[in-house]
Amino acid sequence: MSPPAIDTYNLTKQYGDVLALDGLDLRVEAGEVYGFLGPNGAGKSTTINLLMSYCTPTDGTAKILGYDPWEAVVDCHQRVGILPDGFSVYDDRSARDHLELVIETKQAADEPLSLLRRVGLADAIDKPAGDFSQGMKQRLALAMSLVGDPELLILDEPFSGLDPHGVELVRDVVSDKTDSGTTVFFSSHVLTQVALVCDRIGILSDGQLIAEGTPATLREQAGLPADATVEDIFLEHTAPAEQEQSQ
Amino acid sequence: MSPPRWLPLARQETRIVLTSKGPWILAVLLVAYAYRPTNIAAANLGANISAAFIQDVGTFLLPLGVLLLSYRSIIRERTSGSLKFLLGLPLTRGDILAGKILGRSAGIALPVCAAIVVVVGIGAIRFGSPSPLLFIGLTLVTVIYTLLLVTVATSASAASNSTVRVTGVLFGGFYLFVTVLWKPVVTRIYGATVSPLDPYNAPADGLLFMLLRLSPERSYRLLTNWLLDVGNSGAAYRSVLIKLEPGSSINAYVVETAFGSTPAPLYLHEVGGIVLLTVWFVAAAAIGYAVFNRSDLA
Repeated sequence: MSPPAIDTYNLTKQYGDVLALDGLDLRVEAGEVYGFLGPNGAGKSTTINLLMSYCTPTDGTAKILGYDPWEAVVDCHQRVGILPDGFSVYDDRSARDHLELVIETKQAADEPLSLLRRVGLADAIDKPAGDFSQGMKQRLALAMSLVGDPELLILDEPFSGLDPHGVELVRDVVSDKTDSGTTVFFSSHVLTQVALVCDRIGILSDGQLIAEGTPATLREQAGLPADATVEDIFLEHTAPAEQEQSQ
Repeated sequence: MSPPRWLPLARQETRIVLTSKGPWILAVLLVAYAYRPTNIAAANLGANISAAFIQDVGTFLLPLGVLLLSYRSIIRERTSGSLKFLLGLPLTRGDILAGKILGRSAGIALPVCAAIVVVVGIGAIRFGSPSPLLFIGLTLVTVIYTLLLVTVATSASAASNSTVRVTGVLFGGFYLFVTVLWKPVVTRIYGATVSPLDPYNAPADGLLFMLLRLSPERSYRLLTNWLLDVGNSGAAYRSVLIKLEPGSSINAYVVETAFGSTPAPLYLHEVGGIVLLTVWFVAAAAIGYAVFNRSDLA
C-alpha cells in the first residue's frame, strides 16, 4: 500500500508570540482531493510552507509521500508539484524559460508548449512573463506545477486572480489529474469551487483543524440540511465564539 | 556522471546576468579605468605592462561593480516571491546557493574577461604583446577573485532578510572597510597599539604585513604582483615598482624594502595569497549556507 500523500503529527509553527499552526494532525490519503479551508490567517499557507520546507516547524513532524520534507527535500520535490501563493515570476524570462527550468531540474520529459496549451497560454510561450496579467501568471504557475506528472499536487489558493474560465480550467486540471491517480491538496477561499472538486474537506481555524470529512459528513456534524453549501458549513464551523455561546 | 542538479538554475542565472545591461556597463568602465600606463612600469615590465593592466581591472572598480550586481540576487527573489519556485524544485538550499553563485559568477566573469582582452589588446598595440602564460595566469586570478566577490555578495544576500542590512554589510563593511580603507585602518591600529609607524619606512614586522594582506583585494594584488614578478606586496604594482627604485619615497608596504637582506618569515610568501582568498571563499560560502539553510523563507 502506498504511504499517505501527506501525514503530519503535531505540526506546530510559532512566529514570536504568534502561534500560526497549533499541533496539526493531518492525513491525506494517496489519490484523494483534499480541500483545505479556513479564514484568513488560519494557518493554511503556513501549513503549505511547512510541507514544502519553505520554513521549518517549531514542533512536530511531517511526511510527504513517505519522505521527510526537510531531510529528503530532493526526493520529496521530485514527486510534488507546487503552485505557491504570493509568488512572482521572472519578469524578463519567457513562459518557455520558466517551464524549461522546472523541466530540466526535474529531468522530466514534458514539452513547454503542450503544458502551456493545457493551461491556455500556448500563444504567449515566448512572451516575457513580466507582461502577463495576474491570471496569466497564475496559469503559468499552474503549468509549472504540472511538470513531471507529480504524484502530489499542492495548490495554494489556485483560484486567486482567475476569471471564470481560469477557475474552470483549474477544476478541469484537478479532475484530469485525479483521474490519473494524482493526489491534490489545495487551500482556497472560493468555497463553491471546493465543493465541486473535493473528496474531503478540512477546516482550519486559529491554527487548528476544527472539522474534517466529506462535505456530507460535515453538513451532518454542523446540523445543516442536505442542501447546505460548503459556504454554510464553513460559516457554521468558523463562527466567532460569542455567537456559539449565545446559541 | 550525471550533471549536478543545480546546473539548470545556474544556466538561468548566467543568462539573466548576461542579458542585463549592468555587467556590460561594468566591462566598459573597467576598460576605461584599467588602461593607465606609467613610464616606470613600461621601463620595468616592457611588453608585459599590457598584462599588468589586468591588475587594475580587478582593483577598486571590480569589487564595487560585482557587489552592486549581486547583493540583491537572493533577497530580491525572497521579497518578490519568485524564490518560492526555486524552493519548490528538487534542490537543496545548498544547491540553490551553488547554482546562484556559480551561474552569476560565469555571467559576470565573461564581461570581465572581455574587458581584460580589450584593455590588454590596447596595451599590446602600444607596448607589444605580453607573455601569453602571464596573460592567462593574471586572467585566471582575476576570474577567481570575481568568483570570491560574487560568493561574498550572494552569501550575504542569502543570509539576510533585510535589504538594508545586506547593503550595510557589503558596502559599508566589505567594500569600504575591508577593501578601500583597509590599509589606513590597519596601519592606524598598528601604529596606536604595537609601535609608532612611519609609513615611508615600514618596519620589518611579519605581523604588520600579514594583517595588511587579510584584505581580499590586497591578497589579489599580492598574487598578481607575484605573477608580474614586481615584488612581494599587496600594493598596486605601480607603487611597488616606485618603492623598489633607489631613493624613492612612497608609502607602499613592500616586503623586500622592509626586510632588506634579512629573510622574511615564510608565511609572507606570495603563495599565502591563494590560502587567504580560499579562506575568504570558504568562510563566506559556509556562513551564507549555514544561515540560508535554516532560514524560514516564506
